[in-house]
Amino acid sequence: MYIKYIAVILIFAYTLPLSAQETDSLKIEILNEVTVSDSYRNNIVRQSALPVDIVDKSFMYDHFTGNFMQTLEYIPGIHSMDIGSGFSKPMIRGMGFNRIAVTENGIKQEGQQWGADHGLEIDAFGVERVTVRKGPSSLLYGSDAMGGVIELSQLPAPSDNMVYGELALLGKSVNGTLGGSVMSGVKINSWHVKLRFSEQHFADYRIPADTIVYLTQKLPVHNRRLKNTAGFERNAGLFSEYRKGRYYANYAVGNAYQKVGFFAGAHGIPDASRLQDDGDSRNIDLPYSRVNHLKISTRQQYTRNMLSVCIDAGFQNNHREEWSSFHTHYGNQPVPETNPDKELDFSLNTFNSSLKADLIYSSQWKHTFGFDVQRQRNSVGGYSFLLPEYERFTAGALWLSVFRPNDRFSLSGGLRYDYGKMDIEASHDVYLEEYLRRRNYADELVEAYKWRSRAVNRHFGDVSGSLGFVWIPDKSHQLKVNLGRSFRLPGANELASNGVHHGAFRHEQGNASLLSERGWQFDASYSCQYRNIAFTTSPFFSWYDKYIYLKPTGEWSVLPHAGQIYRYTGVEAIFTGMEADLRLDFFRNFTYQITGEYVYTYNTDEYTPLSFSPPASMRNRLTWRHKIVQFNVELQSVATQNRVAKNEDITHGVNLLHLGATFEIPLMVTNVDITFSLQNVLNTKYYNHLSFYRKVEIPEPGRNFLLLIKIPFINKLKVKLQ
Amino acid sequence: MKTIIKFSIICLTAISFLTFTGCDKNEESDTTKPVIKLIEPEEDDVLKIGADVHFEAEFEDDKMLASYKVNIHPNFDGHSHAVTKGETETVDFEFEKSWTISGKNTSIHHHEIVIPENATPGHYHLMVYCTDAAGNESYIAVDIELSHEGEEHEHEEDEHND
Repeated sequence: MYIKYIAVILIFAYTLPLSAQETDSLKIEILNEVTVSDSYRNNIVRQSALPVDIVDKSFMYDHFTGNFMQTLEYIPGIHSMDIGSGFSKPMIRGMGFNRIAVTENGIKQEGQQWGADHGLEIDAFGVERVTVRKGPSSLLYGSDAMGGVIELSQLPAPSDNMVYGELALLGKSVNGTLGGSVMSGVKINSWHVKLRFSEQHFADYRIPADTIVYLTQKLPVHNRRLKNTAGFERNAGLFSEYRKGRYYANYAVGNAYQKVGFFAGAHGIPDASRLQDDGDSRNIDLPYSRVNHLKISTRQQYTRNMLSVCIDAGFQNNHREEWSSFHTHYGNQPVPETNPDKELDFSLNTFNSSLKADLIYSSQWKHTFGFDVQRQRNSVGGYSFLLPEYERFTAGALWLSVFRPNDRFSLSGGLRYDYGKMDIEASHDVYLEEYLRRRNYADELVEAYKWRSRAVNRHFGDVSGSLGFVWIPDKSHQLKVNLGRSFRLPGANELASNGVHHGAFRHEQGNASLLSERGWQFDASYSCQYRNIAFTTSPFFSWYDKYIYLKPTGEWSVLPHAGQIYRYTGVEAIFTGMEADLRLDFFRNFTYQITGEYVYTYNTDEYTPLSFSPPASMRNRLTWRHKIVQFNVELQSVATQNRVAKNEDITHGVNLLHLGATFEIPLMVTNVDITFSLQNVLNTKYYNHLSFYRKVEIPEPGRNFLLLIKIPFINKLKVKLQ
Repeated sequence: MKTIIKFSIICLTAISFLTFTGCDKNEESDTTKPVIKLIEPEEDDVLKIGADVHFEAEFEDDKMLASYKVNIHPNFDGHSHAVTKGETETVDFEFEKSWTISGKNTSIHHHEIVIPENATPGHYHLMVYCTDAAGNESYIAVDIELSHEGEEHEHEEDEHND
């Protein structure tokens, strides 16, 4: 189906260079670092009454880790939920999974983000500009954006006709990463096309421990490497844009592929025999996970006087598989004839389209009208079962107005209505039924357990909105206040699942009558700049009714490997906290930056915190910069998280020391950028409260030496304009 | 203008301060897991087929215990729960039962688990789960082996009759 789309877009890509005229003269120049201009940043930041952070390519390279989310963690309030050293998923102010949205080129990324062992399928090398909106963003993006949005976008096309490119090479010691990326772009008159290919291979990662203790069993870690955590990723992307007069269009195709091994101890009860050294730290053995994410999107935009109309359309296929040696708890389940070790297989197809019209009435008023539709279909396979097949349809309409009486003040407000439809198919487990009957359970109990998912057909209607202002009393101060109402539709797992989650060893039970998660969110942000001091603080307070969480019921499950039943339940919950950032420039070449954050969560029905609450943390960073050289030293302090939900473990705090340096070395006709960093210098053993492996008591990766070399080139073309 | 700025800063600080302290006053409920001390059977114990199992454990919680559960299931190939091929006259032994307990500290000792004569010999997992009244749960797993040659446990006279 989507092959057609690729074909069309590829034709564009291939015919394009053909139309390029011959270059009659070559002038090679050094590519200047493309940075976000202050005006762009200020413009975006001033337009939103919510706290907004914008980072560019140079930030991405300065803090490069090879993993997009781990790089973004340097922004206060943002966290990365890691599954070993390969997969990571985003979290904003304690909200993760389906509660935040990631968009690329205007299209919301749709994968299996509800899952704890899912990672974001984004090429870290290809990220050019990131806009992080903290706080309720349902008004702009509908369901799932209640905690915030991470928007990925492209840098503007160069103004001159040119051929340019970049080669980046990455090496990491902690898991033997070898990676690289090549990018090449061409700008000719109205057209701009760029292609990127990236690949990364990594071995089992090192941890500063010889044993791990899990369920009172001491398990060996041979050579201090965590067995079978190796993996690789391969990404390719094409982006082309066309601008002529009032018309603008872009076409993007991207494919991200990742294959990462799972530590065997995290699948089933750890057994020392499974953790024997196999002599190869680079092999990916069972169990492992494989993900392919294909994304095709286009934007069509037309601007005329007061009106600007923009249409975004996209198709995505997310295909995720988990492979694990065939095993069953019921004895009677036969080994599948094809792909006997394929445990889980999800294929999620998503179509998005949206229409947005901006009406700039006068210099004081701007109105935006928007409409969007999304259709999803999830199909499943494999010998095990986790998530049912479902179809989901959502449609939303929004109105947003901005009133700016003068340069110092702007008031913005908007309303949105969303309709959602969820159609979940029932799944009957015949092997489980037979197993239970053999064990002489009562008919009623068998009836309750044999459905791995119940048929659910629900309709939802939700209103979201926001009202806020930005006030800039003078050049050095800025105040933002926003009140928002946002929502999230319950997911298929929350509505219909019924069975042991293979990664959590819990019997998780959905609730077909769950209502949408809704919340009132209050956000404020204040920033000031006085001479060489810049300070920003952004407190927030949110109250949710029907916040969906897994409630321990105290009822024992009869399923093998399950303890009590956990049931998805909607409760009142409170999230509050703040971020602060202080930056001090002194002695000309020095910069001292301190950032801190705190999140407080509270489940008002259980009188406990919510699970996965990020611990308070702080970064102290001192940078010395002189011409082409930059050195930095950072102390990262993470507090003990003792505010845990039921059946969650306390995670102790840690202080980590990091060192880094960047050099810009003129070589031949270009500038080679070299980034060194030494993370966790003291090889401290610590745990990350948000890590997937935390519950299996696996410490975080140890000392890591990272080297990134970036070689850009640029070649201006003299092409006559037609 | 200056006063307005100052006023807003004070307001912001006050809001953030109030939200933090406001919530902390609520009493937080129990998130401490119960503790399971399994005394018998021990790791790698060989249990005799056709006999009962000497089960002895201590459960402890800071507030109130609720229930415990014992589960025994096959672990034949050392790691996963693969299907055994071919016909066998024996039946894979599976056991699952829960008991209600209460108080902060309790010692359990019983012989309610009986391994039938036709149980398949081999490696098994024995798992003990425990919950407290708030729903905090802990569990432990031990490897055991069922064998016809298994030693019948020597049994000193019960000091604790539960």
